[in-house]
Amino acid sequence: MDSSKLEAGRNDTSPGKRDEDYLVEMVDIHKWFGKVYALRGVNFEVREKEIIGLVGDNGAGKSTLIKILSGFHPADRGEIYFTGKKVHIHNPKDAKKLGIETVYQEQALAPHVSISRNIFMGREPTTHLGFLNKKVMDRESLDTLSKIGLVLTNPETPVEALSGGQRQGVAIARVLYFEAKLVILDEPTIALSVKESRQVMEFIKQLRAEGISVVFITHNIYHVYQIAERFVILAHGEKIGDIKKEDTSVDHLSEIITNGRVA
Amino acid sequence: MSILNYFIRFRSLSVFSVFLLLCIVFTLFSPQHRFMSKENIEVFLALGAEFNIMALAVGMLMICGEFDLSVGSILVFCSFIFLKLFDTGMNVFLAIFATLSIGALIGLLNGVITTKAGIPSFITTLGGMLFWRGLTLLLSKGLQKPLDTSQYPLFNKIFTGTFGGVVPVQFLWFLSIALVLGSLIQFHKFGNWVFTTGDNKQAAKAMGINTDMTKMACFATLGLICSFVAIMQLVRVGTFTSRAGDGWELRAIAASVVGGTALSGGIGSMAGIFWGALTISIIENGLVVMRIPYYWTFVIFGVVIVSSVIISFVMEQKRVTMGGERY
Repeated sequence: MDSSKLEAGRNDTSPGKRDEDYLVEMVDIHKWFGKVYALRGVNFEVREKEIIGLVGDNGAGKSTLIKILSGFHPADRGEIYFTGKKVHIHNPKDAKKLGIETVYQEQALAPHVSISRNIFMGREPTTHLGFLNKKVMDRESLDTLSKIGLVLTNPETPVEALSGGQRQGVAIARVLYFEAKLVILDEPTIALSVKESRQVMEFIKQLRAEGISVVFITHNIYHVYQIAERFVILAHGEKIGDIKKEDTSVDHLSEIITNGRVA
Repeated sequence: MSILNYFIRFRSLSVFSVFLLLCIVFTLFSPQHRFMSKENIEVFLALGAEFNIMALAVGMLMICGEFDLSVGSILVFCSFIFLKLFDTGMNVFLAIFATLSIGALIGLLNGVITTKAGIPSFITTLGGMLFWRGLTLLLSKGLQKPLDTSQYPLFNKIFTGTFGGVVPVQFLWFLSIALVLGSLIQFHKFGNWVFTTGDNKQAAKAMGINTDMTKMACFATLGLICSFVAIMQLVRVGTFTSRAGDGWELRAIAASVVGGTALSGGIGSMAGIFWGALTISIIENGLVVMRIPYYWTFVIFGVVIVSSVIISFVMEQKRVTMGGERY
């Protein structure tokens, strides 16, 4: 119904293709959950090698927006472009194929299983007849972990023996190994100590150094302010701010979030 | 690494030690040390293997985070099916194939109901336990029926023969099935799916593992193994009885738990389950040889199960801080 009109309108404003500066461009995204209007025409762009802080109060629509991008929910309206091309993301597999990976804190790892088995979970390298290539698994695990600055010696250690920060490191190393282009981190520092949070933020910096864009979703403005280059603020399903780091401060950001509008 | 650390790291080693200790105790205290006699060892290796084989597959399912209380009932039902097929005069190997297929299908049914309806496997298989034994009783009228397979020497050799005139073939079956399932669980990618599915289903799913399929495969394998054991037992005993496999479901779970498998899934090893199964069957055998009244086996099982879970728990805590995989 509306989508054809929308398509036409889009072609009028930008004939041919989208701006290729953007890695991801979400245009006019709408989402209803029953009677709840969760997203009300949100535009959201991510450039290459950029760390974005996606902030907002509870129920602002951060998670919904990200779940649409990572294929867990379909959008009711709107379009997604990836490196300038229109894409349809129906499920998490589609998102992964494009190189969009999401790291959820609790759901990411199997605690009693080893680091290397966790990193290769579901994408195991095999020799023949489907038997695991443990040598490759162990070596690549340690290599990838060291790339994000996490030095561990035993890839057979069960994840539950690691600190909270190290566990995030394992989850992040996994997406790095599988050549993600965009990594979405959902509250990566929640329930972590100050020291562990700092460690996780180092991992994120390393991701960027590897040429990967990062969307950092959080309540904690202090954490995200240290590493993000741009902040997108949502409130009540709408984007109320899109500010570069140099144009704002921690106080300014919290004010916007608390007031629900740009002062 | 100190010896204690070694034991913590290789969980199956501690189960093996318990097994060894029991062997020594039974040898010392059985009349005329009959426990170590050639006859008893042969009986133990042959008879015990039937239960042990089943326990291996039960353990794999438990690592995947599910239970099966219907194993004894699948066994008795398949036993009856084989008897009926055999009586029709069907080719015996065709009858084996049909029985194994039915076993696998019943197992698969447990898996489909559990994963698709999203109900606990405890409930699914509790239903299955009552259903399949009930159906067998109904069809067999609870009567015993003889099975004479003497005209098929090859068939008898496969299930009840001896290797080199000494080692019962049942024990070799147990050993090879343990090796196959062990390499699958520990070294194959399917094993990684089983462990991660049992440990954190959400994570496994998010990483693209088909957790429902993995669980169904474990259920179906167990069903297949149940029907295999059914045939093996029927051939050895030569008589169908509707009490076959009675009470095996809880003993098989006990064997897995004694072998270091976590009830919640995600933790366990085939070597541990192997020795756990042998431990459970050696207790039964040993008490018989020592002429201790049968009811004592339940008392001893109770003590062994609870204490081994406590030991597992303590070891698991220590092992976490040390790292390393479970073997």
